[in-house]
Amino acid sequence: MDVLVQLLINGIMLGSMYAIISVGLTLIFGIVRVVNFAHGEFLMVGMYAVYLLGAYWGLNPYVSAVPVIILLFALGSLVQRFIIQPLLGADEHIQIFATVGLSTALVNLALLVFGADLYSLTVPSARQAVSVGDYTMLTGQIFMLACAVILVAGLHFFMQTTALGRAIRATAQNRNAALLMGVRVDRIYVITFGLGAACVGLASALLMPLYPVTPTIGTYFVLTAFVVVVLGGMRSIYGAFVGAMIIGIVDSLSGYYIAPDLKEVVYFAIFILILIFKPTGLFGFGRGTE
Amino acid sequence: MTTKAFAPSAAVPRKSSPLARLTDPRVYCSLAALSLILIVPRIIDSPFVMHVFVTICVFGALSTAWNIVGGYAGQLSLGHTVFYGIGGYTTALLIQHFGLSPWIGMWAGAALSVLVGIGIGYPCFRLRGPFFSLATIAFLEVVRLLAIHFHGLTGGAAGLIVPLNLGWEWMIFREKFNYLYIAFGLLLLTLLVSWAIRNSRLGFYLTAVREREDAALAAGVNNTGVKLRAVIVSAALTSLVGSFHAMYMTFLEPATMFSLATAIEIAMFSLIGGLGTVVGPLLGTVLVVPIAELARGWLGASANGLHGFVYGTVLVIITLTLPAGLVGTFGPRVGQWIDRLPGGGRRQDAHAAPASRPISGEPGQPILEAKGLVMKFGGLTATDNVSITLRRGEILGIIGPNGAGKTTVFNQISGFLKPTSGTVAVIGPDGAMTNPASADEFSRLGIGRTFQIVQPFGKLTVLENIMVGVFMRHPKVDDARAAALRVARLVGLEDIKDVEARNLPIGGLKRLEVARTLATEPSILLLDEVMAGQSQSDTQRMVNLIRTIRDTGVTVIAIEHNMQAIMSLSDRIIVIDSGKVIAEGNPQDVVKNRRVIEAYLGEDFVDAQGI
Repeated sequence: MDVLVQLLINGIMLGSMYAIISVGLTLIFGIVRVVNFAHGEFLMVGMYAVYLLGAYWGLNPYVSAVPVIILLFALGSLVQRFIIQPLLGADEHIQIFATVGLSTALVNLALLVFGADLYSLTVPSARQAVSVGDYTMLTGQIFMLACAVILVAGLHFFMQTTALGRAIRATAQNRNAALLMGVRVDRIYVITFGLGAACVGLASALLMPLYPVTPTIGTYFVLTAFVVVVLGGMRSIYGAFVGAMIIGIVDSLSGYYIAPDLKEVVYFAIFILILIFKPTGLFGFGRGTE
Repeated sequence: MTTKAFAPSAAVPRKSSPLARLTDPRVYCSLAALSLILIVPRIIDSPFVMHVFVTICVFGALSTAWNIVGGYAGQLSLGHTVFYGIGGYTTALLIQHFGLSPWIGMWAGAALSVLVGIGIGYPCFRLRGPFFSLATIAFLEVVRLLAIHFHGLTGGAAGLIVPLNLGWEWMIFREKFNYLYIAFGLLLLTLLVSWAIRNSRLGFYLTAVREREDAALAAGVNNTGVKLRAVIVSAALTSLVGSFHAMYMTFLEPATMFSLATAIEIAMFSLIGGLGTVVGPLLGTVLVVPIAELARGWLGASANGLHGFVYGTVLVIITLTLPAGLVGTFGPRVGQWIDRLPGGGRRQDAHAAPASRPISGEPGQPILEAKGLVMKFGGLTATDNVSITLRRGEILGIIGPNGAGKTTVFNQISGFLKPTSGTVAVIGPDGAMTNPASADEFSRLGIGRTFQIVQPFGKLTVLENIMVGVFMRHPKVDDARAAALRVARLVGLEDIKDVEARNLPIGGLKRLEVARTLATEPSILLLDEVMAGQSQSDTQRMVNLIRTIRDTGVTVIAIEHNMQAIMSLSDRIIVIDSGKVIAEGNPQDVVKNRRVIEAYLGEDFVDAQGI
């Protein structure tokens, strides 16, 4: 029983990390309607930025979060403006190739610049164990959970109450109608893509104290993020949050009860089953076959 | 696809012996170019050049095989290395445990790959675009992780060394040139298969399904069936190449055999060369692989990642500047140059059109019976207890205000919608009524339909669009081309037969809908607003055409808003309003019917006129 509760806690902590990454991916998919295969590489770029800021200027990752979020917002906006936007009218497979190409280029650029070595930052403030009863967690993980909740709540507030949020929602529902109502759709897309990337910027600052960065770290996380997004119904921020928690818990439990090297097999199997049998996601928020 | 250099509509001599084909410049130029792959390494004679050329053959073959699924069928698999890895591992393990020659083992690997391909393809084909790609990536990851996990069988992450027995029997040589022979042979095999598919009914069907699933169904194409056939061929070829490559490398590990990066590269070569073309994948490989190999050779480990960076950047640039790929963009021009060489030029098409399917049966007998059709979309009842009996040889007009449910009725009697309740029975070839289950089955029973919102196969020419319809009754390409020409003449599309459908104005597209449907030689023709968007003279032409068609024995149901045309054309009219049949009878009676006038013009009008 004790083990189970500890595993559930670990799962939720892991889930909050997936949540932050997946919310960004959901935002881009739900609004721009582009599946961003380079999303994981944004995370990798963010983590190297956090690492460099920490290693050369001694910045605490949590402080680096601010410049890195801005950097990633800029990166995302540029990608949308100069790569995705010219391809919005193109065939779907061209869009897939474009983001896959961007992903390949970024991974290998990192390999060229940093090599295949692991880089990590020692951040004592993030690695203190906190005990509640018999169960322990790390301060960094608690930060992560708090940030995930604040991010989802904040995005909800932003989407529901601000004029920009309303314009974004209108664009998501009907691009042409929004255009006729005077919404500058292209600009909305640039902002949305930037926001999606900025979420990953936040994630990279929170991840850096806990995980070492490598050129391929993005591939590892983004595949999981895609599982989460599909599970959550693809268009829903709340769906992504709940999906992330489920995958976090599945990851934690199957790693212990089945085999550590098969936990990905378990949630990829879930992913394939959901895509095939319930493409609207677990809660019916979206449509995978549409 | 006339934009593609080696498209079927291009000058491929028909029904000629293989020797006669050699005089076609397209054939001898291709063979000359291919032979360079064997000649150049002979001349330069360096192990490095040899390695580059073997790699070109291997990746050219992999990419050509991928293109059958990714290009022709438009299913963007990013997990194709599953088949490559299965081929490699199966062959290596059969040598290790049973001493079986790789020449036999590679076929066992191909058989296993085919099974896995069906297992992945069947459930995943319903997924759209990026989700199909994601699912294939997920399958690849699962297989890779399982290969690592079951290390007792596969050697796990540490890898597996192929037993080093030299000789042709074991596909392992000291004389490296032998590898090139085998790799070249595999490349030729995949190219030939790819070319044969491109120029067959299957090739047309794959393109049709890629462009418009619904229109393909209406032309009698079993969508899942043709995609599965593409996967079977592609998986088997990919697996054979994987088996050979494992023998060449003599070392297998899950990270390289089931690599996502390699899967992406294979797809990338096709995109650079030209998706859906025969030579595109090889061309992309020839251009990109040497750059990467040279960078690796000259710069060594310091350039780790350089080739990937170049690949990724090239890929993004190509998507932005040349999305049709090299062959798609420059192919037609190069094709014209080649045709000017001795022996070239378009041959006159003298093939006689095959006889049409005869329609027999007694005029007036019921040939389609729809009973109590109810169709509910959530809370909306689109058709409410509609019953229609169609009699052989008549022209039945269906009219009604917008949103009355006319097209929904059509969708139900052509199998595109399953009624919530009610049945549709169609007369079978044996004269008995049957209940077909799917749209393509309806179509094969002789129900041809057009779409109100036109559904052309945009990247096929007008003639090729019609050929997709013809193929249902005449599977041979020559027959199909000749029969399509006959239909084009009949419908008045002959002058624009070589124009790509996406460039047609709406009037032309409406006629193309009719032509493609007629091409399936239906016994019942369902026309959904084919007069809309036609000029006055074209409308008259269409009316005459429909009469001509009826006179050949075809029964017609037409939905139409052009009252003058439908009234003069129809033997009988059914009026539908709010999902219900409100009137039925001959045209003169129906126009005087009070309920019909109400439905169109409102009660007030009826009262004011005192009807």
